[in-house]
Amino acid sequence: MSDWDIAIKRGVEHNVPRVFKVLREHPYLEDLARKVREGKLEVLSNLDYYIEMTMKSVERIGGKAYFAENAEQAREIVGKIVGSGKRVVMGKSMVAYETGIRKYLQSIGNEVWETDLGELLIQLADEPPSHIIAPAVHMTRERIRELLKEKLGVDPGDKHEDIVKVAREFLRQKFLTADIGITGANAVAADAGSIVLVENEGNIRMSSVVPPVHISITGVEKILPNLEYAIYEALVQAAYAGLYPPTYINVTSGPSSTGDVEQKRVSPAHGPKEFHLILVDNGRRKANEDPVLREALLCIRCGRCHFHCPVYRALDGKWGDPPYSGPMGAMWSGVVYNDYKPALLCSHAGNCREVCPMKINIPKVLEYLKSKYFMMKAGTRER
Amino acid sequence: MIDEDQLNFIKKNLMKYLMEDYLPFPVNKSVCHEWANGLNIRKGGATIIYTGCSYQLAELGKKFDEVLPTLSKFKGVEKFSSFLKVFYKPKDTRSYKILRNIASILKSSNVDFGYLYEDEPYSGTILLEMGMMDEFKEYAKKLVQLFDSYGVKRIITVDPHTHYTLYRIKEMNSSSWNVEIVNYFELIKNVKVKGEGTFVFHDSCLYSRFLGMRNSIREVIKNSGIVLKEDEMVTGKETSMCCGGPLAPINKEISDKIARNRAEALKSVHNKVLLACPFCYANLSPYVEAYDFAEVVSGE
Ligand code: SF4
Repeated sequence: MSDWDIAIKRGVEHNVPRVFKVLREHPYLEDLARKVREGKLEVLSNLDYYIEMTMKSVERIGGKAYFAENAEQAREIVGKIVGSGKRVVMGKSMVAYETGIRKYLQSIGNEVWETDLGELLIQLADEPPSHIIAPAVHMTRERIRELLKEKLGVDPGDKHEDIVKVAREFLRQKFLTADIGITGANAVAADAGSIVLVENEGNIRMSSVVPPVHISITGVEKILPNLEYAIYEALVQAAYAGLYPPTYINVTSGPSSTGDVEQKRVSPAHGPKEFHLILVDNGRRKANEDPVLREALLCIRCGRCHFHCPVYRALDGKWGDPPYSGPMGAMWSGVVYNDYKPALLCSHAGNCREVCPMKINIPKVLEYLKSKYFMMKAGTRER
Repeated sequence: MIDEDQLNFIKKNLMKYLMEDYLPFPVNKSVCHEWANGLNIRKGGATIIYTGCSYQLAELGKKFDEVLPTLSKFKGVEKFSSFLKVFYKPKDTRSYKILRNIASILKSSNVDFGYLYEDEPYSGTILLEMGMMDEFKEYAKKLVQLFDSYGVKRIITVDPHTHYTLYRIKEMNSSSWNVEIVNYFELIKNVKVKGEGTFVFHDSCLYSRFLGMRNSIREVIKNSGIVLKEDEMVTGKETSMCCGGPLAPINKEISDKIARNRAEALKSVHNKVLLACPFCYANLSPYVEAYDFAEVVSGE
């Protein structure tokens, strides 16, 4: 068995029964998932209106909102806020990866650290992530031990707990001295301008609270009509990812503030003095106009489809254009990179559709992308 | 991972063979209908049994997938095809036995049906499964015309791929193609078939997750006396995995890896595997002891 086979087998054995158990024990989660789908569809059917509403809401609560048409614009916006010579800590964000934020900030003279343990391992190994919520799922703990020994100069030993301890000690210092924290957003509430982030490690809390500036970068499809729906999204994402209840749900609405002096709300308090939200399009609005591809935008990145997919499991995690892997990644490679080739590897087993909390008919989307590939090859139609 | 030459080769030749001959490979057509010799099934009629040549061509298809990477680099190979069409007759007695058994179970349960013999077309499954949708639609039109020319009103399918393909064709032509598509499992639901032994069942992805037949098939199997071993992580609706078959024309290596993974998982539940799809059999049988349902049961 290859390293991948061992690692994915362990990952599946830990994750799959746990998600079944969570869903059995908390049947309300399925209702919440249904509501999240409805909320997302409401936004997608009126996307420009909700983008505008979100940006206005963010400004109203003292934050700054930006719209980035593509990856280059996203990098430019982040680059202007960060500048150079800074220490930046990043909470895991797929959109930051998609738009190449870490490497860009490094290239203009910043020290940048991923703080999600899986992402940190990916950064240290300089490899693409292999799973959306468990980016280092392809690494066995034996491999991780070697990596930490080589890159951080400490041998953590063989135990899961000790490996985590070494990473914790290394990152603690970075959190406390960072100038900027960059995170993604699991959901954005259009009515409130709040972002919601769900996590277990506590790294997102630290990245979004300790440094004086917090930047959140996310896709426009993460907008939900209001804060109620946005919080549901976080609960659903955590449950279908297999980590329920989530250790932390973070709601951030603008820069830190206090109302303790005569009830006047003033900013900043202990947390960041600046909050920036960057909403990224990068192909999403175009996909939204297509009734089949619109379905892909409903994905909440729980990563459940990966563990149930025979192709993903056979493929060394290298299916789709990073950071988008697995069945959702084959769809998203089409959405943001116009790459329809990954879809050709779908064997239409259909497990992904069975387990998707958003009830996305993933095989149908992939069948459609396959046909787009052949049409493009034949040059009969526009891509 | 994806060889474009290979895709181009498939695209070009597949459609050519299908449009000329209603078959995906250059092979003598008799391999598809010889199984019915001597069974006295009438030709045509409003209700027909339709094999789509799936059982008969599954093993050949596998060989084809193996040589595809080389074949697609070999210019002028098309010239051989008309020669093969006449002379190449790979006889698969196992698949004949399965089809004869299905026909006899149906007959003994008083299902009345005919057969199209040499006019029986291949279903077009491979076009659909590879996502060549324009081609699929074009071929589907030809199929509908052919069935209509025989006055077919009810089609009895015997494998999941053909069944699903017809289901999709019907969906595409909902207003104009007025046929009933029924699978033999649905027809033998209340019929006594006899089988014995203990197996782990490998679900066809299409039967189980796309056609909603997971439970009804299990019922037929269990009613026959066969005992099925289950394991939530291996045979559940959400956890049971593909045999890898549909990927073989695109990438044989990945397809085989999926088959091996699946075989290992199945073996952890039981050493004898029961299945109900010719492609699942072709892919899994090199790695496990596999049996088609229709090969281990008989009508009572
Ligand atoms: S496609 Fe569905 S199952 Fe897969 S990551 Fe997205 S929401 Fe989760």
